[in-house]
Amino acid sequence: MSDADASDRDADAGRGGDAETADVDSSASAGRLDSETRQGPPYTESQVIMSTVKVVAPFAFTYGLFVTFHGGGSPGGGFQGGAITAAVVFMIAFAFGIESTRQWLANTVVVALAVGGTLVFAGLGLVPVARGGAFLQYDLLPLPYLDPVKYGMEAVEIVGIAPIVSGVLVGLFFVLARGFNGEGSGPPIGERGYLGSTSEDAEPAADGTDETDETDDPNSGSAGQPATDGGAR
Amino acid sequence: MSVVDATLAAGYTVGDFLLVVAAGFVILAIGMLYRAVKGPTMQDRVLAVNVLGTNTVVILAILGAALGEPTFLDIALVYALLNFLMAIAISKFTVERGGVL
Amino acid sequence: MTGATAPVAIDGVGSVSSVTFVTSVTPVVAEISAIEASLFAFVVLTALATAFARDVLAAVIIFGAYSLGMAALYTFYRAPDVALTEAAVSAGVTTVLLLLTLAKTTRIDHEAAFESVNYPAAGAVGLLFAGLAVTMADVPAVGSPDAPVWGNPDVSQWYLAETYARTGVENTVMAVLAAFRGFDTFGEAVVVFAAGIAALIVLRREVFA
Repeated sequence: MSDADASDRDADAGRGGDAETADVDSSASAGRLDSETRQGPPYTESQVIMSTVKVVAPFAFTYGLFVTFHGGGSPGGGFQGGAITAAVVFMIAFAFGIESTRQWLANTVVVALAVGGTLVFAGLGLVPVARGGAFLQYDLLPLPYLDPVKYGMEAVEIVGIAPIVSGVLVGLFFVLARGFNGEGSGPPIGERGYLGSTSEDAEPAADGTDETDETDDPNSGSAGQPATDGGAR
Repeated sequence: MSVVDATLAAGYTVGDFLLVVAAGFVILAIGMLYRAVKGPTMQDRVLAVNVLGTNTVVILAILGAALGEPTFLDIALVYALLNFLMAIAISKFTVERGGVL
Repeated sequence: MTGATAPVAIDGVGSVSSVTFVTSVTPVVAEISAIEASLFAFVVLTALATAFARDVLAAVIIFGAYSLGMAALYTFYRAPDVALTEAAVSAGVTTVLLLLTLAKTTRIDHEAAFESVNYPAAGAVGLLFAGLAVTMADVPAVGSPDAPVWGNPDVSQWYLAETYARTGVENTVMAVLAAFRGFDTFGEAVVVFAAGIAALIVLRREVFA
C-alpha cells in the first residue's frame, strides 16, 4: 500500500462510494466526523496527523512484519507482530477515517484472516496426526528439501498466529467503532432476534412480512447479501 | 584524580553508570507522572503520556546498552512507533468526543 | 554437563530457601538497585492512580503510563518477549480499544479527582496482599543462580541447551510456544479467535465491518 493509493481511495470513499452507509439514517449519526453529512468533501484530519501517519505507517507495518517473520532469531513472534500490524490499521483509521478504512479492509478480509489463521494452525497440527503422529509433531510434516520442524514452527507463527491476532484485533476495532446498536443500522434491539439484523439485511427484512418466516425459508433474503450474513443465519 | 578515574578505579563499569542514568530517567518519569495524574485538563494528560512514552524509549535504549542486549532496541522501536498512535488516539478523543473515536 | 550440576543445584535450592526464611527480607531489600527501585515506584504509583482515578478517561491514560513502566521492568529483568508483547498490546491496542469503548458510552464529569476508598474492599485487598507477602520471604532473589526455575537441569537448562538442536530456531521462548507446548498455543489462538466471535455476539452483529 503506497501513500498515494491510500489517499486516492480515501477521496473516492468520501465522494460517494459510501454504499454501505447510504441507507443509514443520517440523523442518528449527524455531527459525527465520519458521518456522510460531514463527509461530503473527502475526510480530512489535521495535517499533522495525516502526514505523520503517511510517514510512520509503512515503517510500522514493515516492523510488524519483521517482528513476525524474525521471531525465531530475536524477541517477537506471531502474537506481537500481529498486534503491531493491527495497530497500523488503527493508525490509518484515525488519520483517514474509520469508514474509509472499513471499506478498504472489508469484512471478508478480516474474517478470512482470523478464520484462515485458525484453520492453518489446526491443519498444521492435524496433518501429523493423519500420518500417525501426535498433534503438531512437526517432523512428520511433508516438506521436501526443508527442515520440517523449523519451517513448521515458522508457518505456525507467520501463517497461523499472526493473522488470527491481527484479524481479530482489527475486527474488534471495527465492531467497537460501530457501537452497540450499529449507529442506526437495522431496527432497534428489541425488535430483532438474538443475532440482530445488520445494515445489509435490514432492507430485505423490511420487505418480508415476518422475520421468522424469512429465517425458515432458505431462499429469501439471500439476494445481494454477503455470504457471511446468509451463513450466519 | 578525576571523578571518572575514581569510579573506574573503584570497579564500576560503563554499564553501571548507564543503569544509574536510566534510574534518573525513571525518576524524571515519576515527576512527569504528577502531570498525568493531576493534570487539570486532558491535554495535560495527553502531553504527559507522550513525554512518558518518549522517556520510556530512552530508558529502554539505555537498558539495552547497559545490559549488553541489542535486542532491547526492538522494544524501544515498538514504543517509538506506537507511542504516536496512543497520543493521537487520546487527543482525538478529547478534541471532539464522539467524533471519529 | 547438566547432569553434573544437578546435585549442586538441588542442594543450593534447599539451603537458600531455609536461609532466606530465617534472615527475612532485609538482605534482599539491600540488593535492589536504583533502577529497580525507581521502576517499582513508578509502576506502583501508576497502578494506584489508575485504580483511584475518578475519571475513566484519566484512568485509561494513566493505565497507558503503567504499561510503559511494566515494559521497562520486563526489559530490565531480561524478558524481552514479554516486554515486546506489553509494548505492542498496550501501546497499540488496549488503549485504543478502551478509548473506543469510552466513546460509545457516556462519560460522567466528576468533581472529585479521586475515588473515595471503599474500606471493606481495601481491607480484602490488604489481606490478600499480606497473605502473598508472607510467601515473598521464601522466593529466591531475582537472578539468583540457585533459583529452582533456573538451576533445574531437567527443565530450564534442558530447553536452553536443546532448543537450537531440536527446532532450529534461536529464540527459546518462541520454540517453547510453538513447538514444545504447541497444543497450549493452539488453545490460546482459538481463545483469541473466540474473543472476536464473542464480541460479535455481545454487540449483536454478524459482520465486523
